[in-house]
Amino acid sequence: MEPLVNVASVSRKFPLDHSFVSALSHASLEVEAGEFLAIAGPSGSGKSTLLNLIGCIDKPTEGHIELDGVDTSKLSPGQTTALRRRKIGFVFQTFNLIPVFTAAENVEFPLLVQGIGAGERRRRVADALESVGLSARANHRPDLLSGGERQRVAVARAIVHRPALVLADEPTANLDTKNATQLIDLMRDLNQRLGLTFIFSTHDARLLEHTPRIVRLCDGQIESDTHAVVLAGAGMVGGSNG
Amino acid sequence: MGKFLLLAFRNVFRNRRRTVMTLLMVGGGVAGLLLAGGFFAYMIDGLREHTIQEGLGHLQIFTAEHFRRDETRVLDTGIDNWRQVAATVKSGSHVRGVAPRIEFYGMVSNGAKSSVFMGSAVEPAAESSLGFTPRLSSGRDLSAKPDGEVEALIGAGLARSMGVHMGDGLTLLAVTSDGALNGVDVQIAGIVKTGYDEMDARYLRITLNSAQRLLQSDRVTNLVVGLDATANTDKAAAELAPRLKGTAQPMVLKKWIDLAAYYLQVRNMFSGIFLFLGLIVFFMVLMASVNTLLMAMFERTREIGTMLAMGTPRLWIVALFMLEATLTGALGAVAGVVGGNLLGALINASGLHMPAPPGLTVPISFHVLHLPALMIGSSLIVIVSLALASVLPAIRASRLQIAEALAHV
Repeated sequence: MEPLVNVASVSRKFPLDHSFVSALSHASLEVEAGEFLAIAGPSGSGKSTLLNLIGCIDKPTEGHIELDGVDTSKLSPGQTTALRRRKIGFVFQTFNLIPVFTAAENVEFPLLVQGIGAGERRRRVADALESVGLSARANHRPDLLSGGERQRVAVARAIVHRPALVLADEPTANLDTKNATQLIDLMRDLNQRLGLTFIFSTHDARLLEHTPRIVRLCDGQIESDTHAVVLAGAGMVGGSNG
Repeated sequence: MGKFLLLAFRNVFRNRRRTVMTLLMVGGGVAGLLLAGGFFAYMIDGLREHTIQEGLGHLQIFTAEHFRRDETRVLDTGIDNWRQVAATVKSGSHVRGVAPRIEFYGMVSNGAKSSVFMGSAVEPAAESSLGFTPRLSSGRDLSAKPDGEVEALIGAGLARSMGVHMGDGLTLLAVTSDGALNGVDVQIAGIVKTGYDEMDARYLRITLNSAQRLLQSDRVTNLVVGLDATANTDKAAAELAPRLKGTAQPMVLKKWIDLAAYYLQVRNMFSGIFLFLGLIVFFMVLMASVNTLLMAMFERTREIGTMLAMGTPRLWIVALFMLEATLTGALGAVAGVVGGNLLGALINASGLHMPAPPGLTVPISFHVLHLPALMIGSSLIVIVSLALASVLPAIRASRLQIAEALAHV
């Protein structure tokens, strides 16, 4: 079966003064549909760059990325926008909610962009907010929500249009340990209940305990790709590919 | 679409202080235009009615010959059977009355000093029935009774230069329709201030009978028609023109606007000034708003990046910014219309007067008209200005690189 994401020897260089700095170097990665994958590594290791490239909000300098069988490097800007709209959900480090919208309106936004009718939007927003446990806070604006709640709204927004892939760039960086753990648990729960594919980045090793697959980056290169074997009722045991 | 509009509307009030400043600027521009335009319109309307009521009337009837050639002798292009023409016109709808006139010129003398006059001969009863009353600074109007035939009204400037006063006698000299010199004695019944210094220096008015005796002719120069309202001028002209086709002499009907050269000059001048003011407000709002909208765009860089990442079409971002600016313009216009009308009402209630402009001797009351067309026009100026001001920030916002925008602090 074809992987959902196929990162094929991708590099990304950024211009710096009169030379280039390499943020990612010949990274290759395959992600199957329904996986829950963490990209770990210290700051500057290339985690955000890799997620941006997979999320089609940046273009690789070398190599190519296939998403759901589509070579994203061959898409026009309009096609790339449409691909992101339909197939990808984003969760950001700083939540990035629209401050003048309520929680429900924020979650509704991706559906609005897709041109889905009002009735269907209402139903899906209610489902998404319920799935993150925030039905009661639907009409609150972001400034009236706690950090953890804001990020759960962001997760609801990322899954409301049932994307093939949810990308979360350091989603716990602005949360305390308790909220961070709860958020990762929530994402894992959504992954298992709804079969959604999650790729998230983190530099916090404590959050990786319940993550079945961990890709470690260092200096723009994939250092290891660890698959855990899930033992019923007994946590996970690691096994490395990288 | 409703949510999109809601987003734009809420964004307008995101930074309340800045929005209030923008609304004050836009509203101030609209209010300024309303006050200036309302005052100009009042002056122009006032000048129009003043011009008509000063004796121009709404319509005037001449012989066609009058416009084809200059008169070689006085009244040789005048109307012969004017009583019959007047009767035909009087039966028209909207017609309040018809006043015959003779326009002539000659010399006026008090025995010691002589001067040139520009004379107008009228039927006092017909004139007063149309409300064409001379602006007297002293004395009274010409009498409609037979004793009025030896009376005259003269301009204040003419009276001053001749050194004459009310009740003094004058001799009028003019060339008759046969080319002979004739004279008639009159007594000054009143002194007139027309409001125009040049007119006052030559003004003379006598009765129609006196003028016909002086000029030795039964003709009149023209017939002045007064209507029930200026707005009915076109309708009345269209009704009367065919009736004049059956007369012995070919006749021409002129509307007041065709004869009010001074009014047209003033109106054009005020239109030019208002256009200039409108341009100033347009560019003032445009330049100030570009800066404000660019600031708003920079502040929302990460938010725009997020929207773009979620697959929002770039055209939506352009539309969002333009919609926000247009909404700001519309709200500013509403504030300006309300504020401008309130200020206008205050000014109208205050009874202020402007000093008399050059050439006029009477002060003008400072009054502002509340005109819906002006409100719509001024509002459109600022709305379009703001919409245009948003084009640059909107395009910049839509062209943001998503990854860079998301990293924006």
